[in-house]
Amino acid sequence: MNDNELIDNIANKEYEFGFVTDIETDIAPIGLNEDTIRFISAKKKEPEWLLSWRLKGYQSFLRQELPKWQNFELPAIDFQQISYYAAPRNKKKYNSLDEVDPELLATFEKLGISLNEQKVLAGVAVDVVFDSVSVATSYKEKLNELGIIFCSFGDAVQEHPELVKKYLGSVVPHSDNIFAALNASVFSDGSFVYIPKGVRCPMELSTYFRINAENTGQFERTLIIADEGSYVSYLEGCTAPMRDENQLHAAVVELVALGNAEIKYSTVQNWYPGNKDGVGGIYNFVTKRGICKGDHAKISWTQVETGSAITWKYPSVILQGDYSTGEFYSVAVTRNKQIADTGTKMHHIGRHTKSRIISKGISAGHGNNSYRGLVQMGPKAEEARNFTQCDSLLIGDKCGAHTFPYIESKNNTATIEHEATTSKIGEDQIFYLNQRGIDSEKAVALIVNGYAREVLNQLPMEFAVEAQKLLSITLEGSVG
Amino acid sequence: MLTIKNLHAEVEDKKILKGINLTVNAGEVHAIMGPNGSGKSSLASVLAGRENYHVTEGEVLFDGMNLLDMAPEIRAREGLFLAFQYPIEIPGVSNINFLKTALTEIRTYKGLAPLDAKEFLRLTKEKQKLVEFDAKLVNRSLNEGFSGGEKKRNEILQLAMLEPRLAILDETDSGLDIDALRIVSKGVNKLRSEKNAFVMITHYQRLLDYIVPDFVHVLYDGRIVKSGTKELALELEEKGYDWLKEQVDEKQAEEKQLGEMQLGEKEAIQ
Amino acid sequence: MIKDLTIPLYGELENGFDTLIAAAGRAKEGNEVLKGRKTAFHTFTERGFPTIKNEDWKYTNITRFLKDDFAIQTPPANPSTGLNAYVHPEPVDHALVAGAGIESLDCYQLTLVNGNLLSADGASHRLPEGIRLITIAEAVQDPGLAACFGHSEESEKYHFTALNAALFSNGLFIEVKAGFSLDKPLHIIHVFTSGYNLLVQPRHRIVVNRNASVTIIESVVGSVPEAKLFVNSLTEIVLEADSKMDHYLVEMAGVNSRLVQHTMVSQKKNSVYNNYTFCLQRSDLLRNELHVLLNEEHTETNLYGLYLASGNQLVDNHTFVEHRKPNCYSNELYKGVLSEQSSGVFNGKIHVYKDAQKTNAFQQNNNLLMGRKATVDSKPQLEIYADDVKCSHGSTVGQFSDEALFYLRARGIGEETAKGLLINAFAFDVTEKIKIPELEAHVNKLISGRIF
Repeated sequence: MNDNELIDNIANKEYEFGFVTDIETDIAPIGLNEDTIRFISAKKKEPEWLLSWRLKGYQSFLRQELPKWQNFELPAIDFQQISYYAAPRNKKKYNSLDEVDPELLATFEKLGISLNEQKVLAGVAVDVVFDSVSVATSYKEKLNELGIIFCSFGDAVQEHPELVKKYLGSVVPHSDNIFAALNASVFSDGSFVYIPKGVRCPMELSTYFRINAENTGQFERTLIIADEGSYVSYLEGCTAPMRDENQLHAAVVELVALGNAEIKYSTVQNWYPGNKDGVGGIYNFVTKRGICKGDHAKISWTQVETGSAITWKYPSVILQGDYSTGEFYSVAVTRNKQIADTGTKMHHIGRHTKSRIISKGISAGHGNNSYRGLVQMGPKAEEARNFTQCDSLLIGDKCGAHTFPYIESKNNTATIEHEATTSKIGEDQIFYLNQRGIDSEKAVALIVNGYAREVLNQLPMEFAVEAQKLLSITLEGSVG
Repeated sequence: MLTIKNLHAEVEDKKILKGINLTVNAGEVHAIMGPNGSGKSSLASVLAGRENYHVTEGEVLFDGMNLLDMAPEIRAREGLFLAFQYPIEIPGVSNINFLKTALTEIRTYKGLAPLDAKEFLRLTKEKQKLVEFDAKLVNRSLNEGFSGGEKKRNEILQLAMLEPRLAILDETDSGLDIDALRIVSKGVNKLRSEKNAFVMITHYQRLLDYIVPDFVHVLYDGRIVKSGTKELALELEEKGYDWLKEQVDEKQAEEKQLGEMQLGEKEAIQ
Repeated sequence: MIKDLTIPLYGELENGFDTLIAAAGRAKEGNEVLKGRKTAFHTFTERGFPTIKNEDWKYTNITRFLKDDFAIQTPPANPSTGLNAYVHPEPVDHALVAGAGIESLDCYQLTLVNGNLLSADGASHRLPEGIRLITIAEAVQDPGLAACFGHSEESEKYHFTALNAALFSNGLFIEVKAGFSLDKPLHIIHVFTSGYNLLVQPRHRIVVNRNASVTIIESVVGSVPEAKLFVNSLTEIVLEADSKMDHYLVEMAGVNSRLVQHTMVSQKKNSVYNNYTFCLQRSDLLRNELHVLLNEEHTETNLYGLYLASGNQLVDNHTFVEHRKPNCYSNELYKGVLSEQSSGVFNGKIHVYKDAQKTNAFQQNNNLLMGRKATVDSKPQLEIYADDVKCSHGSTVGQFSDEALFYLRARGIGEETAKGLLINAFAFDVTEKIKIPELEAHVNKLISGRIF
């Protein structure tokens, strides 16, 4: 079925289901149409403006086609075979850990995740007295005192509609791309953060502390606003593999940094990558973008991507304010048949804006890893500067590493420097370590961690430790 | 020849020169000394016309002309030469082509015909001999791959070639071993005459053993805080800069106190 | 067929293949050649001209250069017959040809006018035995060469090459015999000229046989004061095992000309190909497409380019090196200076195939943005499917170092002269690669002429 037919089909089938808007029902029938959206919106008791925004998103979705420029084969996605309001509804609920796949538990073990956390992550029904509930609550009080809002997107819509209305879609419009449009129409929930003027958020905010509050599903939407002179560090991630039969994960993250504000956004992504033959796994098609709206604002993206069958995302920064800064630090690992096509876009609009891009790709097995990035200097970006370093490391002769930078300058006082290298993992380095009694697997882990050091250093301490372990585990069995 | 009156300058909104007064006459050699960060090199940069230095007050006359109004190349053509503290490497520009271009432009400015190739090479050779700099210049890029000493000697060669009336040597002695220092100094001494003048910027007294100055000035916190003859340099060598700093700081503190008191009185009156 | 009313050429092409071929006096060409033309014509009409939606044309909007009413080139009014078919009979502007001449260079020289060999130019006869040089019009009549001009996927690969493969007019076929080394450079001067809007489509083929070597310098000049001229050329180069070619291109076409030039090189075992491209033209558009296929092992490829642009010029260099086999080396250095409101585009792609282990591939692109409104778009790309490789690319956009400019000015060198020196210094990395001193001097002179 080509795209046009697909869209035609969607249009024709719109009322075919004999859909009844039954608010009492928790599960929307499979498929996407306006009624699904009305259902979701009603279910969440959303105001009219939000519903109408969702519907606009749906219209954008219908107008757009799947991208064709990527250098990998995009699997056919049947948007009508997805359940849009049930989150991972098909996921099994286990009664106890004994029922969970032992391989999965072994991985948890290696990561040093506590039993209770393991239960949450594996989707085992857990008691309300789970540790992190109280933890989360105590954090919440502290944050409240500072005027920081940190809640689910749904709560924010109810409690802070003026903020949501002002900023929702202001960085990633509903028409941005087909997956962002899909997200706009059906997003289930997500996180909302607002840091008031001059406040430095005293702790790392993380989706992790909210995970039990509501299952955010595969179309979550995150909106973070840092008001003038504020600072926040936000961690996103699932540090363990998730069994998830829902294939498409199309999230949207919007960051707004006003004058002198700083947002640091860190991701450790380890969704289920599929098995050795490339069966299963998540399609992680995420739109992430931040805007430095005011002067001297700063947005920094750090990501460690080890999971998903396909990772396809470009966390970007619009550098609008003068003297604003954008950063992108990335480690992406692909093995088996994984594909990662990731990078960033730095749009320099304001004067004296700066950006820095450090990307480290590691390909093993049959994995393919692409850096795709854009550095754009607008006509007014006086004295703007960019530095980009993209390195690719190849482990084994069946994998691929690709670099596609786009460099566009319309200002003759701007400076751009881009460097990229691709090389094989050093055999003599491995040999040296072997000779000192370290086996090849550990040697690779050591070398890779060293190689990714510059990026891992950007992560908050606890996260960095987990990310390191994750890198080692991901590459297990890739040499030999 | 050079008259600096109440010169104030800043870089990126930071005040670095706070009222310099200095007169240099033909035939004189002046040494400007001072601790790190006192503004010595900034003074050289302002005189040569480096772009990011902004003069906020005062004037500089070069033979009666307003130096500050001139583009850097006009200052050079008028006869002001700066021997750089860190001569820049310019790959792809050959030394010889560079020298020829500079000499031709300066000669043209003075209404002189450019030298022909033969004449130019003869002159270069002669000057190289004079300053004892025998590096092969023809096939090498400007300062590229030169050692620190070679770069400084190349500056002196340019000085010899371009025959300026006023030469400012910005820490020419830094990074030179004793032999190189001797050679550089010898070159400068040979170039000294009744018609030209030198301003030597240096942190150490060492250079002044080889090139004996007529006057020594001490720069501190953007001002000349003491002037004297070569004996002042020896005194500094012996005592260091600290005693001077203390003197100045004390004086400033007094002034500040005085100012505050006056302000206080004013307020009291009001 | 894709219709775009803003491109009048489509109207011309709508007349159909047979009419066009008949008008061009080509109906008598061999079956294989005609069939090749026909397939290519079909391919082109399927695709049409590229738009900015084509990734390879993202930064170069070709539509605006095609909007004039172009006639498609037909043979000269009074063609010679026989083997020297389509030799240009009329004399051309001697100043143009003289301007392309390289002072005191001892070389074989010949001149083409809109792709047709200048009849007054007897140079071809003076070439040594080891070289076979005939016009393309002759070559297509040679049954032994028909296969070279028949249907080929490679030649039809791009929008413009398909159009050229369909309707190419004339050009040169040069073959260097096995084991032969040409003692002096062969200098080909391409003159493009017309009194009316014209689309010219020359096609050339150069074959360097085993163990042979040749140096070819191509200079492109042109004068079209009162009309617009669009050149769509295709040059195919085959380097057999152990052969070597030094290939210099000096682009000097004048205003009102637009050039899209494809060069496709296929290298066999142990061959060496060195390309030096100097874009010093005044033409509105220059798009160079240099595509090198490394089809066998142990080849060496060096691509050096320098592009200068000013006014409203657009200069676009696309290079594509395909490492298909192991143990090949490629190196690329392209530098550009964009003044006034000109635009520069660089797209360099390196593709390393799965089997191409022990590949060394390097690429560097540096740009100086001089003009307040000048722009540059650079897109270096690495696509690597083998692991035992060393590959890198770099790209920079910037200005002169202020420090260097100040140093020169502080020595009395005026700002303009100082900038000129620095541009020459910037270009030096490329010009120093020229192995022929006379040509290096010639190019340096042209660069200086281009700056001031």
